Amino acid sequence: MAQPLIRLKDVTKTYTRGGETLTVLNRLALDMEEGGYFALMGPSGSGKTTLLNLIGGLDRADHGLVAVAGEDLTVLEGAALSAWRARTVGFVFQGFNLIPVLTALENVELPLKLTGLSGKARREHALHALELVGLSDRAKHRPGQLSGGQEQRVAIARAVVSDPKLILADEPTGDLDRASAEQVLTLLDKLNTQMKKTILMVTHDPHAAQHARTIVHLDKGQLGRIEHNQPAAARA
Amino acid sequence: MPPIVLLWRNLWRRPLRSILTVMSLAVAVFLICGLRSIITTIRAAADNCDPRRLAVMSASGLFVELPLHYQARIDKVPGVEITTKFQWFGGYYRSQKNFFAQFAIDPETMFAMYPECKVEPDAIQRMATDRTACIIGSSLAREFGWKVGDTIPLVGALHPHPEDKAWEFKVAGLYHSDRPNFDNRTLFFRWDYFEETLKQGGVPPAVGVYSIRVAPGADVAQVIADVEDVFKDSEQRIDCTTEAEFQRQFQSMFGNMPLFLTWIGAGVLIAILVASVNTMLMAMREQTPDIGILKALGFTDGSMFVLFLLQSTFLALLGGGLGVFGALATAPFISAGLEMFAPGYAVQPGTVVLGAVVALAIGPIAGILPAMRARSLTCIAAFRGE
Repeated sequence: MAQPLIRLKDVTKTYTRGGETLTVLNRLALDMEEGGYFALMGPSGSGKTTLLNLIGGLDRADHGLVAVAGEDLTVLEGAALSAWRARTVGFVFQGFNLIPVLTALENVELPLKLTGLSGKARREHALHALELVGLSDRAKHRPGQLSGGQEQRVAIARAVVSDPKLILADEPTGDLDRASAEQVLTLLDKLNTQMKKTILMVTHDPHAAQHARTIVHLDKGQLGRIEHNQPAAARA
Repeated sequence: MPPIVLLWRNLWRRPLRSILTVMSLAVAVFLICGLRSIITTIRAAADNCDPRRLAVMSASGLFVELPLHYQARIDKVPGVEITTKFQWFGGYYRSQKNFFAQFAIDPETMFAMYPECKVEPDAIQRMATDRTACIIGSSLAREFGWKVGDTIPLVGALHPHPEDKAWEFKVAGLYHSDRPNFDNRTLFFRWDYFEETLKQGGVPPAVGVYSIRVAPGADVAQVIADVEDVFKDSEQRIDCTTEAEFQRQFQSMFGNMPLFLTWIGAGVLIAILVASVNTMLMAMREQTPDIGILKALGFTDGSMFVLFLLQSTFLALLGGGLGVFGALATAPFISAGLEMFAPGYAVQPGTVVLGAVVALAIGPIAGILPAMRARSLTCIAAFRGE
């Protein structure tokens, strides 16, 4: 068993809406090893996205330990948390979340602006990342000029360009047609098997989940069953 | 630091909105510079007056005339070097819309007393030989296309011609002044023509204002006191002041113009500030998802604050720069239009600095609220569009 990249202990998260307190995650405990490929599944409201946000340092647990890549995220804040996110995590969102006024190349280059790389080196890295997702010919296109599948591939290029350990993908195929979804899943497989990235993917889609080696089920904020799976990439 | 490329692209995300914002800022700064220039020009008129020149008018006000024989008594006051007289003619050329100042003067003393009023020597000679001659300002000549030798008919609204016809003045020459205390849109004609013509109709001529030049070395305050003392028991008491004070009193007849213009400028400033804040809040709302993305990628709260502050500042500087440029570029045209009200209108370096400071201040002030919101917004809230 490899060293866990993600360690969750007794994690609780509640929200208050309209005077009512809703427990989204309830004393959750889970370890995820580095280099793994995890799918988080569960019905709507089960706490999947909340858990992803806690692990990505986008949100803060009310209670418990959230340790990722050796950092306790419950104590990290401000610029230190931002810097940690920049070097540790790459995000892939359901709605792609590209900045519409920037070209594909500029979107991919964004995380590298936080590094000490020169402009030329940044462009080279960004172009390389676009090549990796097969979109170097679309470098000058803006998101509005790309298909949904292409946009998500640009988002994946942006997620990996700064070489983070962890890729967090929230319903990455949710807004895509089957062919595009397959391309995205193949790319995620490649990131895991060839580039050794740890991937945590939230999905509703059982077919997408089959690409992961571990499928974690959540229900009403609590851990359900954990399936170990022969991933699609390995099967192929 | 936020990505500069994003800053630039965001500015042109809604090109029409950005252009309208820049234009409204430009107009506001242009107005502020213009209004400020009028104020400084008005003040310069008083500040540029010769401290040795005095004005004598009726203690009852500028519209009450003084007797003609006062001049001889003023001349006898110790310290008085020259005295000259002015009478407002108040006529118009063809239509009352064609308004400009006309004064009956004694050319010899008047031009000696006002060296800033530059006249060709030939013109003074021609004026001396022709009783109906007049000297006109260079701007006035340009405005009406008058040249030497032309005859200008003026209807004497205040001083009707005894033969019930227009007065006629022959242009003997042009004058020009570079000083803001002396406009270039006035017509000066001979006192003797004025006096004799009025006498034909049985009207005794009177004087509007006497102007005095104090002899070098004489005490100006003492001369003022002595002149006033001469007429303290006369039928018409007088008010003797420095020319600068006279200018200020004349300007105050139109109310406290500098204060009025300052209030207009302040109103413009507040209006544009509110509009700019609104624009930046709209821009911030539109860019809310981007804030979430950037923060998720690792950009700090502080860099989001700077991003919005810089956007706002850039728009304000662009608009402010255009406004200042507009004020400078239009100054010659405005100067021509305000020749009589504010002669020598010019945009002073201090006004350019004021325009730049206003633009520099509007940017951060308009951007501070959206910048603070962008800083405090969490990624989750930004993705939800809150």
